[in-house]
Amino acid sequence: MLKDITLGQYYQTDSVLHRLDPRVKLAGTFLYILSLFIVADARGYVVAFVFLALCVGLSQVPLRFIFRGMRSIYFLLALTITFNLFLTPGEEIWRFHFLAITREGARTASLMGIRLIFLITGSSLMTFTTTPNQLTDGLERLLRPLRLFHVPVHEIAMMMSIALRFIPILMEETDKIMKAQIARGADFESGSIMQRARALVPLLVPLFISAFRRANDLALAMEARCYHGGEGRTKMKPLKYAGRDLGAYGILAGYLLCCIVLGRWIG
Amino acid sequence: METRRTGEETIIRTEGVRYEYTRRDEEGNIEGTTIAVDGVDMTVRRGEFIAILGHNGSGKSTLAKHFNALLYPTEGVVWVTGCDTRDDARLWDIRAHAGMVFQNPDNQIIGQVVEEDVGFGPENLGVPTPEIWERVEESLRAVGMLEYRKASPNHLSGGQKQRVSIAGVIAMHPDCIILDEPTAMLDPVGRKDVIRAARALNDVERITIILITHYMEEVVYADRVFVMDRGRVEMSGTPREIFSQVTRLQSLRLTVPQATLMAHALREGGMPLPEGILTRQELVEELRRLMPHTSEGGD
Repeated sequence: MLKDITLGQYYQTDSVLHRLDPRVKLAGTFLYILSLFIVADARGYVVAFVFLALCVGLSQVPLRFIFRGMRSIYFLLALTITFNLFLTPGEEIWRFHFLAITREGARTASLMGIRLIFLITGSSLMTFTTTPNQLTDGLERLLRPLRLFHVPVHEIAMMMSIALRFIPILMEETDKIMKAQIARGADFESGSIMQRARALVPLLVPLFISAFRRANDLALAMEARCYHGGEGRTKMKPLKYAGRDLGAYGILAGYLLCCIVLGRWIG
Repeated sequence: METRRTGEETIIRTEGVRYEYTRRDEEGNIEGTTIAVDGVDMTVRRGEFIAILGHNGSGKSTLAKHFNALLYPTEGVVWVTGCDTRDDARLWDIRAHAGMVFQNPDNQIIGQVVEEDVGFGPENLGVPTPEIWERVEESLRAVGMLEYRKASPNHLSGGQKQRVSIAGVIAMHPDCIILDEPTAMLDPVGRKDVIRAARALNDVERITIILITHYMEEVVYADRVFVMDRGRVEMSGTPREIFSQVTRLQSLRLTVPQATLMAHALREGGMPLPEGILTRQELVEELRRLMPHTSEGGD
């Protein structure tokens, strides 16, 4: 059922990582990605791997979920590895007609591959352990300083959470419109790509009209419930740092320091 | 059920309210003006259960939107708890005093979890966090949806969603709730649940209810009924007074409840039934009284 689609890929369980403040997890993911670009040799990657493995272990998300999330990047991964493997100039170790693999190529390819895998695992771990709602809340708080530069942070966060609320509804509606049109002889499945794209037009028009109508209704309902922007608004579930969040920040800082030391001074 | 404890305090008063909007063609040229509400005078007192009945396009929803300052009258004045709705400084006060539930259950739920949606109104009012939690709990309990507090609105039925919307309004502690065709998109079971919730709020919490609907069955329990047609209030009175005028109601394109219609037809046929029978139970009792020797059984 379309109704049951969970956005992102939240995995429901109760682990330390799930209980962490979303701000910690957002900052953590950002710093982890940053660290992957700081470290440049095998030792650095071992540290990054150990850190990631610990997080995965703590999150209690089954490994098969994590690998499933990887499926979407197979193509990108293959592409990156192939290009790095064959197109890096250097000392040749293998040759087949015009294809040549160099020592440097093999090295970069494997490091790039590992980096990509770590990157995706790290960021999907965040979406596995954080509900979309918490993510928006966390983003709103983290980006709050940008208000100084007149970035409408609260409005963006509100838009994100409304979008999250309405995506399943609009998906269901798409399904309904599609079925109604199939019943009247519309064909969405055969023909060339162009033909199929053209068949989508009569689907998109009613969908857009309905989306605008819903937006109008929702705006009215929000006004009726006294919504007037972020000014003077309180939170039902305000974000509050607990002891474990501070601890997590400490661990993150330690990890990052470790990576910087490894990447810059040793090696 | 006609006369109940209703305070003397006026919650909403309208005087000569007229609302016009300009119709435009596809290029945006003005085609003319339509009068949606035409000279309505109405007074709603604290604790009353008011029903506004009307056919599609009778102006009832447009009028309702005046009660919490979503629309402003072209002519005339609307006062909500003593404030003129055009007073910008009191706008949020007025909306907090007069909450509104809309027709489409999907398009008025903002939160992704039931309790977060109910908390949305109090959040906007700047209520402190611990009190928001109290209000959410008490409101969900009042509409019988407490067990669903952690559920996603997408998994609820239409009737349940409307009850969540009602809870969202109660959590703002309004003096008055305006229900704008809350049952139009629901199945019969959902309709009953929503009306039951509204009646309970009126009975127990003494919240003033203004129910806008085109289902006559739903207005049977109201203290007073206004019937609108073409922007005007055509009839007003207790449900019994209104329902005793079956031909008039039919001429306003309203479907009269079956029991009332049946009683009317029987009266026309010469049976000495009283006017203004509202429910099937009343009809059965009246018929029993007329024909005491008929066998019991059935309903």
